Formats: sequence, C-alpha cells, structure tokens
Amino acid sequence: MTTSQGIIMILAGLASGPLLGGLIAGLDRILTARFQSRIGPPLLQPFYDVIKLFGKEKMVVNVWQAFCANAYMTAASISVVLFFLRSDLLLILFIQAVGAVFLVVGAFSSTSPYSQAGAHRELLQILCYEPLLIFVVVGIYLLTGSFKIESVYAWNQPVLLKLPFMFVVLSFVLTIKLRKSPFDLSTSHHAHQELVKGLLTDYSGSFLALTEIAHWYETVLVLGLCSLFWTTNPVGAILLVGLTYFLEIWIDNVSARLNWRWMLGYGWAMGVSLSLVNLVWLYAR
Amino acid sequence: MKELTYVLIFLPFIASLTCFFKIPSQVRSFMILTTGCILIVSSLLLIPYVPFAFTPQILFGLGVHDLIRVPDFILMFAILYFGFKHRSLLVIVPAVLQIVLVVWFEIIISSGMIEGQQMFRSVTQAFYCDNLSLIMVLIISIIGSIICFQAIPYMKNHEEHLKLSTSKQPRFFFVMLFFLGVMNGLVLSNDMIVIHFFLAATTLCSFLLIGHDGNKEAIRNSVRALWMNNLGCLAFTVAMMMIYHNLGSTDVQQIIRTPPGTGLSFLALALLCFASFTKSAQFPMQSWLIGAMVAPTPVSALLHSSTMVKVGVYLVLRLAPAMHGSFLSQCIALFGAFTFLAAAGLAVGQSNGKKVLAYSTISNLGLIFACAGLNTPESITAAILLIIFHAITKALLFLCVGTIEQHIESRDIEDMRGLYSKMPLTALITVMGVVMMIMPPFGLLLGKWMAMEAAARNIFVIILAAIGSALTAMYWARWAGTLMSDPFAGKFKLEKQPVVTWAALLSLCAGAGILSIAVPWLYTGLFTPSMSLNYVPPYTLNDGVLENSYGIFAAFPLCLIAVMGFLQSILAVRGATKARICAPYLSGIQTAEHRVFMGPMNQLVKAEAGNYYLSNIFGEKKLTIWINLAAGVLLTLIVGGAL
Repeated sequence: MTTSQGIIMILAGLASGPLLGGLIAGLDRILTARFQSRIGPPLLQPFYDVIKLFGKEKMVVNVWQAFCANAYMTAASISVVLFFLRSDLLLILFIQAVGAVFLVVGAFSSTSPYSQAGAHRELLQILCYEPLLIFVVVGIYLLTGSFKIESVYAWNQPVLLKLPFMFVVLSFVLTIKLRKSPFDLSTSHHAHQELVKGLLTDYSGSFLALTEIAHWYETVLVLGLCSLFWTTNPVGAILLVGLTYFLEIWIDNVSARLNWRWMLGYGWAMGVSLSLVNLVWLYAR
Repeated sequence: MKELTYVLIFLPFIASLTCFFKIPSQVRSFMILTTGCILIVSSLLLIPYVPFAFTPQILFGLGVHDLIRVPDFILMFAILYFGFKHRSLLVIVPAVLQIVLVVWFEIIISSGMIEGQQMFRSVTQAFYCDNLSLIMVLIISIIGSIICFQAIPYMKNHEEHLKLSTSKQPRFFFVMLFFLGVMNGLVLSNDMIVIHFFLAATTLCSFLLIGHDGNKEAIRNSVRALWMNNLGCLAFTVAMMMIYHNLGSTDVQQIIRTPPGTGLSFLALALLCFASFTKSAQFPMQSWLIGAMVAPTPVSALLHSSTMVKVGVYLVLRLAPAMHGSFLSQCIALFGAFTFLAAAGLAVGQSNGKKVLAYSTISNLGLIFACAGLNTPESITAAILLIIFHAITKALLFLCVGTIEQHIESRDIEDMRGLYSKMPLTALITVMGVVMMIMPPFGLLLGKWMAMEAAARNIFVIILAAIGSALTAMYWARWAGTLMSDPFAGKFKLEKQPVVTWAALLSLCAGAGILSIAVPWLYTGLFTPSMSLNYVPPYTLNDGVLENSYGIFAAFPLCLIAVMGFLQSILAVRGATKARICAPYLSGIQTAEHRVFMGPMNQLVKAEAGNYYLSNIFGEKKLTIWINLAAGVLLTLIVGGAL
C-alpha cells in the first residue's frame, strides 16, 4: 500500500462510520418497521436524530462521561481505520474492546441503578463475544497463515468454504454487537424490555450522539469482518453481508430477550464447540 | 561491572544490617532512600556492560560456592527452626530432607573433586548476566526500591494505626532491603548451588514479611507460605542433584546448552518447573500468595511485582532452551494457559481489591508460563514484555490500594464506590493502572497480543487464553468503573498524601506510560542483542511498528493516536465541567439527594446498585477445589510425562 493509497483508506475508514453506518441504521429501521407492518421512518432518520442530539444542551451526571464517550468514539473509529488499512485482525479486536470498555466505564460513572445494571450486562456481553471473535480470527490465521487482513484478500477462494462454522460463530457475535434480540441485554431498541436503555440511560445530548456514531463504526467493523468470509468477489461479499444482516433483523423481531446466563451458556458452549470442530478440521488437514 | 554487581548484591545486605540496629527513624529513612537510589543508578549503569560473566577470586582462593556453604546451612536450619517453632510438620519434613540431601550432595561434590573427575565442578562462571538477567535486575532494583520508598510513610501510618508500643520497623526494613539483595544475587548467579541458597533466602524473607504483623492470621498464612515454598526448594534440590548426576555440573549455562533430550533428564527439568510454580504461586499452590495479603501492602507490592513470584517465571524462561520442542514444554504451555483462565475466573468472583490483584498476578504469571512453554522467539518476547510491564503496573496498583486502604480503612471494591470524589488523584492513578493492564497501546497488552499470536497454533492454549483474556477485561473494567461511580462534577480538589507516596505512584504510572511508548526502542535495545540462548529476535521494526510474517503491531503510531485521543477526551471533560449537572436517572421524582427518589405513596426510596460478582459461578468456594484438582492433574502430567 503506497502512502497516497494509505491516506485514501484512512479517510474512507473515517467516513464509513458516519455515512455507511448511518445508512445501515436507517435501512435497519425501515426493514424492522416493515416486519412489524409499519411504514417506518425515512432512510436518513438516524442522521436527523444524531444532528438533533448534537444541538441539545450539554448535560452530564459525571464529567467523566464526556471522556468515556469520546474515548469510545475514538477507539471505534481507529479500529475501522485499521480495518481499512488491512492491518492485524487481533489488534483491531483489541482496539474495538477499548471502546467497548470505555462505554461501560462511562455508564458506571453514573449511580443510576439502570445505568449500573446495564453496564454489568454489557460487561457480560463483552465477556461472551470477545473470546468468540478471537476464535474467528484464529480460524482465519490457521487457514491463511497470517493475522493480517491483507492475506485474507490474497487467499484465492472464499474463506467461508473452509470456515463455515466460524461464520456461524461470527453471526452470533453480530447479534450481540448489533444489540439485537435475544441478546439486547444491556441496551435495546425495543420499548417492551425490562431494561430498555440500560447502559445508555445517563448519556445525553452530544455524548449520546457520540455513542451512536461509535456504534455505527462498530457495525461497519463487524460487517466488515463478515465480508472477509467472501473476498474473491465484491458481489459475493455484499450478498453474504446483506443476507446475514437481513437474518439478524429477522431474528431480532421474532425472538424474546434471554437472560445473561443463557447468553453466556449458549454463547460459549456453541462458540467453543463449533470453533473447536472447525479449528481441528483445519489443523488436522 | 564487577563492582556494580557487588554493589547490587551486597549493598542491600549492608544497608539492611544497619537498619536492623535501633537507629532514629529519620536516619533509617535516609538510609533507605540512599540505598534505593544507589541501587537504581547501579542497575542502570550495568546496561552497557551486558553480556558479561565472571568468577570472583575472593578470600584466599575460596570460590563463591565455598563462601555460601555455611550461610546455606544457616538458612536451612533457620527454616527448620521456624518449622519447630510453629509446630508445622509440613515445614519440618521437607526441611530435614533438604538438609540431608544437601549434606549428601556436598559429599558427592567433594569426592568428585578429590578424584579429579571434574575441574572445580566445571562451573565456569559464578556470575552470568545476559539481557534476561539485566531486565530482572532493573525490575528488582528500580521497582523494588520505589516500593521500599513508599513503605516509609506507609509503615509509619500502619504502626500509628496499630498503636504499637515498640516499633517493628527495624526488622521490617531489614527484611525488605535484604530481599532486594537476595533477588539480585539470584538472577545474576550462574551456579545452581548458589541459586539454591538465594531461593531458600527468598522463602525465608517472604515468610518473615508475611508474618510481620504477628497476629494469628498473619502467622498462619506465613507458615503456609513457608511450607509451600520450602517444598519448592526441596524439588529444586532434588533436581539439582539429578542434573549433577547427568551432566556432572551445576553450571546453568551448561545445562541450557545441552540439547533437549540428550543427557539431561526431563524429570529434573520438570522438578525445576514445579519449584518455579510454587514460587510463582501457580495452582494448586496459589493459597500462599492469596494469604500473603494479610501483610502490610508494600510487602504485597514487593512479592507480587518485582520479587518472589518473578523468580519462578525467570527460572522457567532461563531453562526454556533446554526444553525446546519437548512434550514437557507443551505441558507447561497448557498448564500456564489453564492458570491464566482459572485465576481470571476467580478474580471475577472477588470483591476484595487485594484478592483481585492477587488472582490477577497468578493469572498473568500463568500467561507468562504459557509463553515460556510455547518456547518460540515470539512467545519468549511476549513473556519478557509481560514480566516488565506486569511488574510496573502491579506495583503501582498495590501501592494505590495500600494508599486507598489507609484512607478509607477498607480494601473492598464496594467501599471504593465513587472514590473519585474523596481521593480524586489516587482514584485516577488507579484507573490509569487498570487501563494499562488491559488496553492497547500499553506494554502489557502488547505482550498479550504477542502471546496470543504465538499461541494460535496451539488450539487448546489459544482457547483458554481467549476466554481468560475476556474475563480479565471484565474484572478490571468493573473495578475502574466502580472507582468513578459518583454523580460528581465539581472541581478537582487534591487530597493530602506524603510527598514520597505521590512520587512513588506518579513515577510508576509515568514509567509504565513512557516505557509503553518506548517499546520499539526497548525491543531493539534490550531484546535484539544477547537476550538468552537461541533467542532470535522475531520482529522487524519499521517506524515504530513491530511486524513479523503473520502479525503487525503499530506500537508507536498507536501511542501517538492514543495520546491525541486522550488529550481530546480530556478537553471534552473540561468542556463538560461547564455543562449542566443533572442527577442520575432513577425513574421517579428526583429529590435533593442524589440517590433518593420519591416513590409510590410519596415514600422516599433510596436507589442502590451493587456490582455483579457472580459468586455462584466464579466464587472461591465453588471453583477452587475443582481448579486445584485440574491443576493437580496437569502437574501430574508434567512430572509423569517427563518420567
């Protein structure tokens, strides 16, 4: 990658969150509405929401919320930029985790029980998906012999063919990361849950807007990880990601929330066993 | 460099002896400060001389071994004495066995010398220092000294709190300084017999320090530490004799130069590993380190960061070349990864801050053992980075908890809720310490990253490590969040602490930060030349980016971005101080008090939230027995597999 290409990639990465992520969020809301026999908001509604939030008066419970929202946003954007730069997958995961942890610490800094309970649940969600993401990356490493995204693109056939179970594991993570039912434990889009905004309860105004944009970045990142399973053909990648996302929305609308014991139990049992099968298969080859 | 070596080993001994006599406390404090400073400077001055090796010809042509023979027996008899004093068979039996074995060993050696089979037991160099030893010396001298500095105000407070009539500080500082000398001696020695002497000395030192307060619990826990570590020493003695039988030498360099599987019995190596595991408090011998938290906090800081537990990982790393590619090495990797996971799980279940720190130490040491077991250049690099950064960060966190404990008189995480409003700077430094434990671009995470990439070919190790890593993030993030948990937005009002305390905390915090930024240069400066035997630097360095064929870690650029992100976020905090401060959401009518809302029937309701400790999954009572059992099985595999 030359310097100019690098700069273009950095800019593309930085822009992808607010633009692509926002559009995906808008599409998500329309599709969800159609599932529920509603028309839904316009495609650009997420952008209007965020702009409106930025215009609100600044209110905080604890000044360190501002720090945490900013750190979350920074970490999320850097992880996406590194993805665009085709850097090291494990490194990208670690940086993404930084953002996730800061979001939690920000929620902890308010004493509201809703915020606290949400923060703990988010920690459990991180606990559930973090190892699974590492397994996925290890699977890619065992196949391509490298942790660099570059080597995935250099691979001559879709990774999905060799790592089908790892893709299932990844889509499990996707459900948690996109805050979709049944794993929308810490904060949710559905008003009927026992804990609705949880983690985000005491973020408000521009700080809430920052967490929203950071979430868009994270969405782009996990969908980007999905796209790595079909790198030989852009149409294939888009089809795979689109299909997976559609499935996520469908699951979101047909399932009820599970408690964290189920999430952790199912997540780890399924994640470890599927990974083990797939990794041993690769390893034995 | 000979002079520097002597200063590093003997100066603490001399200083500690003077501490032992009743001298005014100001004089003692001054002595400790000067000794520490001289140690720090000498260790830094040692850097350009590495690698070196030499044998001193001192005192009428007697070698080092002849000189330590008498102190060695004094030490072993001292351990035996404490065994009788506290009526512990678990101490007495191994101690007696050890004395018998060492006497036997001395006879074998001298008969060997008479027959002239080996020239002076073929220990060619008494002292040997490569970069691995150097890094240990730096850690011991610098971090150890800083901990001793902070102990000065801490112990003053401590004794005022306990209302002691006669100060026990002379003995305390005697042992603390002595410990530093012993540790320096241990990592610089090249003769197993000398190392055995220093090992026994660390055992005795930690016993004396853990039992310092002299109450029932302290005595019980110190005796436990004594018998466990003494058992480790016994294993070391047996291994030493077997190695002598195999190779006719106790020269460490000669041992590791023996190609794996030729001449050197794996059983001896396995026993050495067992000795290391006891020193590093790996399962099932973890209880001595957990019990050690009854001691004053500087003791915990010293044991956990720069001394005792680091002996174990140092020894295994030192011996790693002799185990390269063996089944034993793989078993150690698995054992280490298991400990990493299990200790992290137990830490999740704890609300006692010091216990969380203790389990986190065990967990991190497990990861270092796993790296040593994987035994590739990448994993060895990871292990050494982990040792360095764990030492700094853990020392920092222990000193923080000690400071907090003296202030709020509790070490429970729940009692630290909203500590930021009471002790803002200490709370922030603690949070910083936590951040340095789990987040990039700090050195500890760089080490973990290298470890994971090195472990990825070993499916079981990577699965254990991945889950352990997530658990680690969980208990640290929970703690950091709890410290900041307060509806507080006022001005920063600095709490009062002694200057030495601030200096210790801030220097450790800044040191970890600066070293993290300097990792690329640390790597080229310390890792590339003469790290240890067969070590080939695995990473290439371009513009501060570490890279090998399958991984790329942008260490320096990430640091830059992190600094910018940090500054930007701090600006955001400054901006937020001007924002409207509102009460936390309670789903009811807010009252003037932050945590109280108007509930149904106009009743005031106090909203409270506690942390999840998931003690019915991760509780000590639930898990410990199973973990010990599993670790026992793995240990059997290690020793049995070596037979």
